[in-house]
Amino acid sequence: MDQQAQDIAISGKHRVFSLLRIWAISRNTFTQLVRMKVFYFMLIFSALIIGANLLFLSFTFEQELKILKDVSFGAMSLFASIFAIVGTALLIPKDLEDRTLYTILTKPVPRIEYLIGKLLGILLLIAVSILLMSLLFFAVLYIRQHGILAEKIASIPRQVSEADIESFRESIFSRGLQPELLLGVVAVFLKAAVAAAVALFVSTFASSTLFTIIVSLVIYFIGHAQALALDFYFAKGEMHSAGQRFFAGLIGVVFPNFQLFNVADGLTAGEVISTSLMARLVGLTAFYLTIYSLVSWLVFAKKEL
Amino acid sequence: MPLERDMEMEFKEQGFRDWSPGLSSRDQLTQAAFVGALGGFRSLVASVYHLKAHNSFVKKNWGEVERYRTVTASLQPKFWSYWDLAVWDMAWNAYGYYRGEAEEYSDDFKGWHIENIIMPTYLQKGIDYAKRGLEWLPDDYRLLKVIADIYDQKMGNAEKAAEWYLKASRKPEAPPHVYRAYAHQLTLCAGREKEAYRVTEDLYRNSGDLTLTLLRDLERLEDDIARRAARDMTYEQLRDAALAEDAGYLEMASFAGYLLEVRKDFSAAVDIYEKVAGHSQAPTFYRRKLAFLMADHPKKAVEAYQMLKTLALSDPAALRREDMSRIAQLESRLGIAKQKRIRP
Amino acid sequence: MANSSTPAVQIEGLTKVFRLPFKQEKVVAVDGLSLQVDAGEVYGLIGPNGSGKSTTMKVLLGLISPSAGKASIFGLDSGDTASRGSVGFLPENPYFYKYLTGSETLAFYGKLCGLSRKQIRERSDELLEMVDLTGARDRRLGGYSKGMLQRIGLAQALVGDPRLVVLDEPTAGVDPAGSRKIRDLVLELKRRGITVILSSHLLEQVQEVCDEVGIIFNGRLVREGKLNDLIAIEDQSEIVLQNATPQLLERIAEMVEGEEGAQLLRCGNPRTTLERLFLQEIKEGSKQGGEDA
Ligand SMILES: Nc1ncnc2c1ncn2[C@@H]1O[C@H](COP(=O)(O)OP(=O)(O)OP(=O)(O)O)[C@@H](O)[C@H]1O
Ligand SMILES: [Mg+2]
Repeated sequence: MDQQAQDIAISGKHRVFSLLRIWAISRNTFTQLVRMKVFYFMLIFSALIIGANLLFLSFTFEQELKILKDVSFGAMSLFASIFAIVGTALLIPKDLEDRTLYTILTKPVPRIEYLIGKLLGILLLIAVSILLMSLLFFAVLYIRQHGILAEKIASIPRQVSEADIESFRESIFSRGLQPELLLGVVAVFLKAAVAAAVALFVSTFASSTLFTIIVSLVIYFIGHAQALALDFYFAKGEMHSAGQRFFAGLIGVVFPNFQLFNVADGLTAGEVISTSLMARLVGLTAFYLTIYSLVSWLVFAKKEL
Repeated sequence: MPLERDMEMEFKEQGFRDWSPGLSSRDQLTQAAFVGALGGFRSLVASVYHLKAHNSFVKKNWGEVERYRTVTASLQPKFWSYWDLAVWDMAWNAYGYYRGEAEEYSDDFKGWHIENIIMPTYLQKGIDYAKRGLEWLPDDYRLLKVIADIYDQKMGNAEKAAEWYLKASRKPEAPPHVYRAYAHQLTLCAGREKEAYRVTEDLYRNSGDLTLTLLRDLERLEDDIARRAARDMTYEQLRDAALAEDAGYLEMASFAGYLLEVRKDFSAAVDIYEKVAGHSQAPTFYRRKLAFLMADHPKKAVEAYQMLKTLALSDPAALRREDMSRIAQLESRLGIAKQKRIRP
Repeated sequence: MANSSTPAVQIEGLTKVFRLPFKQEKVVAVDGLSLQVDAGEVYGLIGPNGSGKSTTMKVLLGLISPSAGKASIFGLDSGDTASRGSVGFLPENPYFYKYLTGSETLAFYGKLCGLSRKQIRERSDELLEMVDLTGARDRRLGGYSKGMLQRIGLAQALVGDPRLVVLDEPTAGVDPAGSRKIRDLVLELKRRGITVILSSHLLEQVQEVCDEVGIIFNGRLVREGKLNDLIAIEDQSEIVLQNATPQLLERIAEMVEGEEGAQLLRCGNPRTTLERLFLQEIKEGSKQGGEDA
């Protein structure tokens, strides 16, 4: 009797799903990556955008600012996606190889919590690095647009009227630091998040880091081209038979359409993106994260360690 | 996935996810650039090709310039500047380069060939770029305007220039000078004087900004109308129209012009021109006309000089550059002291 | 009292078959194994390499699922995450996050066990002291020696205040002083009433600390019992001599020969009894295995 009561007490003590445990795993993942000195990449990033700045001073301000934005967004997207795929691929198979996983899973930690914790840790790293990169990017853009304005005013020999300065500022700044750029930054994050979820899924059945990276990269690239391929096979989205729809749907789930996340490409060309579209992009990301986490869990829950 | 296809369609509708490498640019891209463009670095690849185009421009390799401009523009077709640069490189830079070549070989067949075959081709390429850009950016007045600019500045085709300036001026973001450019081109179209006058007069009455071009155009058109009237109507008709109770200044000016040109009745003409210049609706250039008419007449010279002085102070735009020497002549004739003379 | 309470560990008819990928072959790692460990006991699982010790432990801890049979901890099935609420595990050749310091490692595992900040601080101070790593608490694990890793692993296993501790080869690769230290720790756990299962092929330590021993071979539990019972061999006697000359030994052998039914099995330096037992079981096991095939 007494013993039974104690058993119940033990099982009652255990929380089926605990955000604290997930947070512990995420924090740990983040700390681990930080201590692997991944943030040294910021040096490369700084060199890239400052280099882009120095190289193309001779162009029109419009082009100069565009190149600065292109290089920054390009580098942000590249680093974020690399972190997403390589970071995930480095950590989970390594936990398995080193048997560190044994010590974690023999604590009262459900396997789904381990997966979610790892994914969140990677997302945290991506978020922090994108934050750092965009801060630097915005700072350089801010400095540059003021520099261009000053150069412009200085280049005019006569006295410049207040109204002229205002119109220069308007035309230069409208190509510079604009709030829309934040949408591009968010899209870079969303894309990397989906890439991380893909890598998480791959690493649940892959046995090595290298395999995970290669397979994830393949999915990543096919994902970029899938819309193109589907367009090619089904001219302009006309899919007739149920079989074709199913096929297209299957491709869509296995290979996320990463092309949709390239918002920055449009933004740098001065296009506008509606909030509803952005909201749906967030929705799509949530959908992919959920699907990939669930499938990862299905594989991982049964995995013999 | 249905949701994705949906979003893609909407992106396309908004012209956002607008690029499909299936376009002609595809075979122009290197393998790496193609992968890059596909992998989310489209804007960056476009920038790189922009730099390449610039290098080719420096080397004056116009074939390359054209190829790279096509790539940049089709990579980011919603970026106005790429179309504009393409137009500029074709219709201004390449065209200007070949004009120099044509002059160099002006005596040869080669010179003829360049002038009559190559140069027009580059103008047409410029126009074609702008038109392709307009497929993506139908509301961009700048691309419409640049076509008009080519017709105006490079081809001297006022009809076409007017047509495209008008299209451009109808776009919401078009600044007022585009419409004025339309009006100006219209005044250059033979046979459309009435239309031109309607537009120009309307601008004169209703737009706050009276540019020199507008004033000259208006003056020219009104002179023309007066001259026609003097030619086509009888003395009685002209007189009755000019002396009617509600006569407009234009009828008066027509009659005055007739008196001056046909009847050679100077004083009668001056009388009528005085009425014209005093008319509340009449543009100030009638006062200039009157002043110079009177200046040639010894009895009226002092009064004329007074009018010119007032005009120079109140409305210098009514005077022209060449007027300064006539004024100086008048001043010396009248013996005006140096410090009291009109200074622009 | 021990009989009335739920056993700490109950394994019944456990079989684990590994299928090798892309091959038809199967490996039977554990074969119909049953054992029971009562609360408060120290149980030693001994067997040669590849006999199924680690596999048994992994099933017990839910890392792999059994092909047949079942395992439970304090009455909770091993497949249930909750069963891990009262267990601490030290895997063989443990390897931890080398970017963490000793105390960060314990904090991390403490959080996984649902400890509060305050509990973590107290627990890790106590455990670091216990495993003698207080001086190295702020050093990263990347710089720890093998023995230190083994000890931080032990501390990690204990951080959740478990009622059962599972140690897979806790002394493998550790020098004699280190393994002595670990043995003392196990005895300390026993004193505190914590159930311990440990596996080893280093018999000396098992002999010193275990209440009960199971001998596992080819995935089968070939013998099990109280250590003293296993060691005592009723029909054998042992004479331990000092400074015996070869002549004396010869005379003894002659005397034995003269005796009806008696037989001199061997003559030489004495072995630990458990080791002898172990070797004997292996010999029989392989003979059996040979007959089976
Ligand atoms: N994942 C696996 N896949 C295939 N075979 C396995 C797997 N894990 C263990 N085995 C096999 O199962 C048998 C038992 O292995 P186990 O690791 O349990 O032995 P052990 O008693 O712990 O040995 P050691 O003393 O060397 O640690 C071995 O033959 C091993 O090859
Ligand atoms: Mg083992």
